[in-house]
Amino acid sequence: MMYLIISLVADQIGEGYVILLTGLLIVFCALLILSVFFKYGLPVMLFVYKIITKGKDKKITDIKISADKEFTGEIAAVISTAIYLHLQEKHDEESAILTIKQAIKQYSPWSSKIYGTHHRRL
Amino acid sequence: MKKIIIIFGVLSLLIFIRPLLGFNSDAKPDKDITLVTTQEETNQEEGVMTNAFHGIQEFYNYTGFANATLGHILMILIGIIFIYLGIKFDYEPLLLIPIGAGVIIGNIPFVAGNQTGIYETGSVLNYLYFGVVKGVYPPLIFLGIGAMTDFSSLIANPKLMLLGAAAQIGVFATFLGALYLGFALPEAGAIGIIGGADGPTAIFLSSKLANGINILPDGTTVKNLIGPIAIAAYSYMALVPVIQPPIMRLLISKEDRKIRMKPPRAVTQKEKMIFPVVALLLTTFISPSALPLLGMLFFGNLLKESGRTERLADTARTKLIDIVTILLGVTVGASTQADIFITKDSMMIFGLGAISFVIATMGGLLFAKLMNLFLKGDNRINPLIGASGVSAVPDSARVVHAEGLKADPNNYLLMHAMAPNVSGVIGSAIAAGILLSFLA
Repeated sequence: MMYLIISLVADQIGEGYVILLTGLLIVFCALLILSVFFKYGLPVMLFVYKIITKGKDKKITDIKISADKEFTGEIAAVISTAIYLHLQEKHDEESAILTIKQAIKQYSPWSSKIYGTHHRRL
Repeated sequence: MKKIIIIFGVLSLLIFIRPLLGFNSDAKPDKDITLVTTQEETNQEEGVMTNAFHGIQEFYNYTGFANATLGHILMILIGIIFIYLGIKFDYEPLLLIPIGAGVIIGNIPFVAGNQTGIYETGSVLNYLYFGVVKGVYPPLIFLGIGAMTDFSSLIANPKLMLLGAAAQIGVFATFLGALYLGFALPEAGAIGIIGGADGPTAIFLSSKLANGINILPDGTTVKNLIGPIAIAAYSYMALVPVIQPPIMRLLISKEDRKIRMKPPRAVTQKEKMIFPVVALLLTTFISPSALPLLGMLFFGNLLKESGRTERLADTARTKLIDIVTILLGVTVGASTQADIFITKDSMMIFGLGAISFVIATMGGLLFAKLMNLFLKGDNRINPLIGASGVSAVPDSARVVHAEGLKADPNNYLLMHAMAPNVSGVIGSAIAAGILLSFLA
């Protein structure tokens, strides 16, 4: 009834209020439906899936979506962080600074030929 | 505290300086026309020196120095401030630095008519800006966000989804505020979505509603507000760490801030795979106009969770989203060309944006307190996480986490805060869809 009265007032602000109320209502409903589905609908879906694939487990209570009460999301997060950090560290990092310095010893077998061509020995 | 003073000092300075300098929206001199005529009138009979002098003078008339107005300089300064904020305070540097650079690029003074500016058809910037005007970039960003986001905390505790809905009150309250300030309905809708604290959604909706092309029922065209709305949305998103904590401290008592939530249960892979499909169906059936955003978001998430398309998910969440972010940031920044951007409307949009963030945060926090009235013992939620219902992923969740740590150094709220945070993304996309279907 209120909506009707408001929409009869055909000015912008009246329409604004209509959009405000209906909009908020729709957003709430949408997310409410989503949350209700994931609270109640999903276990049923998983149950049906299990029946289709195996034909056993006739009770909903037999399907545990929480596989292990002890294993919480926090533990999963800790483990995955540890793995992530480990994998990050495994990559050997080079400093990317080239160190071209004069060799301390004057003679090196790597360049021994050049000494022959220069006709002098060190 | 110092940061707040700097930022709001700059904003208020901008607002107060504007009337002094006398910028009016369309008061642009017809400099380009006079230039063309002088070019034709060059007298060939004069001496070489005079010709050379004329040439230099003409060249000077084409430079930025001759064409600069105070508006340009002001906007360039704003661009530099954006870059400074991004680098110095690390406020969303991935956004602020491209946008800041874009603001500078867009406000280099030039002579119109050479296909240089972002609003001139045929210019390169104009082609890149096409993705913003037609709303191409936002769904691509959402694809990447979907491929990045882990919805498991939401699946583990579905009731937290309502917090994401509660924060959308910011959207609708701002919408109403904009109507009271005299904006037309579609414009007000586009301004309202700033309260959703979601940059891509704001750009998407404003490109559909306030694009300067659509015709209003009374025969006038809507204003082009994409630039101001996008800049307002992104800059307030970057300021989430400044805006939210005082409101949290104001509304939530010390006791409540210390509430520990039980750790979320582990979620099976099967549930994670079902989530994007079901959520896509449910949300888009309710709000089909949000299809480009929500469709891509959940598609991206399916790529991530299916376990078979890791390559696609990897590209979507790294290279693709990076490319689009670069293009989006620069072009949105460049769209703030002074003569179009510095108007009374932009200032009002900035004001409304700040208020909308405050209202959205308050909505989330108060709704979390309300939910606590019905929840007992272990199931109680820490009301702080309500603040992360304003999307701004993942910054607002981080802010909640930091605030929680201040109250109790051993209370880690990040995982819990991510749930309302991602549902805020879904909520603001739905809200955008609703506004679009009402007003387009």
